[in-house]
Amino acid sequence: MTGRWLLPFFLAALPLAAQTSTQWVLEQSTLSYHMSHPMHEVDGISHAAKGKGTCHAGQCDFLIGVPVKTFDSGDTNRDLHMLESTRGAQFPMVVVRTQFPESATSSPTVYADLEVQFAGQTAHFQHVPFQRIAQGSEVRITGTVPVTCSDFKIDRPSFLTVPIKNEIPVRVDMTWHSN
Amino acid sequence: MKLDAATIAVCGLICSLCSPQVNAQSLTLSGSVTAAATAQPIDQATVTATRSDNAATVSAETGADGKYVLQDMAPGIYTVTVKADHFAAKNANIGLSAESHTLDISLNELPNAPSAPSMEDLGFSAQQTQANPQLQTTLARRTEMLKIHQRLGLITTIPMAAAVITGPMAKAKGKNGETIKEPTQANLDFHAALGGATTALYFSTAYFAIAAPRVAGTQKHGAIRWHEALAFIHGPGMVLTPVLGYMAYKQENAGEKVHGIASAHGTVAYITSASYGAAIVAVSWPIHWKFWEKQ
Repeated sequence: MTGRWLLPFFLAALPLAAQTSTQWVLEQSTLSYHMSHPMHEVDGISHAAKGKGTCHAGQCDFLIGVPVKTFDSGDTNRDLHMLESTRGAQFPMVVVRTQFPESATSSPTVYADLEVQFAGQTAHFQHVPFQRIAQGSEVRITGTVPVTCSDFKIDRPSFLTVPIKNEIPVRVDMTWHSN
Repeated sequence: MKLDAATIAVCGLICSLCSPQVNAQSLTLSGSVTAAATAQPIDQATVTATRSDNAATVSAETGADGKYVLQDMAPGIYTVTVKADHFAAKNANIGLSAESHTLDISLNELPNAPSAPSMEDLGFSAQQTQANPQLQTTLARRTEMLKIHQRLGLITTIPMAAAVITGPMAKAKGKNGETIKEPTQANLDFHAALGGATTALYFSTAYFAIAAPRVAGTQKHGAIRWHEALAFIHGPGMVLTPVLGYMAYKQENAGEKVHGIASAHGTVAYITSASYGAAIVAVSWPIHWKFWEKQ
């Protein structure tokens, strides 16, 4: 069942200061999907995300990628089932893009519109709230992306013939560093 | 040839008004898009011509040589807009009156315009980002076989539990501890049938796990390791149990008291059943207790 898989993701990075041109690099991250099954509550975790962002002329573009196979739920069998269910061999990357005005990043809560490519599908998540904590030249972003299996046309993985719940929220905890 | 857009517009308008017969013509506008500073052609610039009287548009992208061609245009006055990444957009007006027009446009580069990050910028290896359809096929087959393994495994627990329950009754004792002659034979046969069904289902179950494709380079960890380790107990047990059971069955039918290694049939069966159950629990671990309370 790994179905588990899942997914993936996420994102959003939001810098602080309104500079003319700022480059952001994802320093460290923890992305985890949560899967619910009548007999299980499972989290799959990845620390392998990479991301970059540029802010120029008041506009920010951020891109985050993470290999699907790097999510570890604590069981090989489950993770392979997840990889299969999410078509992770054919579409090995979860890719998240977001754009927002630089001025929107000064508040403790940043709302981002996300474009997520996963399992060969593209889904958009509007107005997703992320908490922003500035720490020197670094910014920590935390939040949850309300991902569902149906967003990406994923057949819900099953265990003991019972499928998991459709909701597989993805928890994001990322630290960005500006150059 | 670079043309003055205003001159072209005026000439084109006059020509189009004076020559109504060209209205039925299909015209072509072509040219090139280059960087103003370097004269280098700009690839993938979007050239859009919008007719002033009805807002009809025709567009095309430049190729690697910076050239574009807009076809099937009707005579009239057009606003031509050229856009390209990292360059400032530019507009020009042009009047079309003949079959072919040329309009070359140069764009000014935006100062210090950083490009939006691309996947290449992230530094993932090709191995991480390349699709592997063959692996996907392998995973699909693996999942399908393991689903059958799960279902058969669960079904196997039914005759297995029944065989364990009926085992003591196969050699039924009366209230005073005396062996009941009838229907002992029926009990034995029923128990043997359950054991046979269990054995057949068990090895069918095992087949779908053993034959499921392996994924190269996968280091096993987690509950699946316990699940597989327990197979080293219930696997041999499922070979021994029916063999010992057959021996015990023959001794019973011969009117003998079960003796020798055949007398271990029950013990081996219990151990086998217990390890089989533990294997199911192991692969289900951690179990979410009180799952019946979930919404």
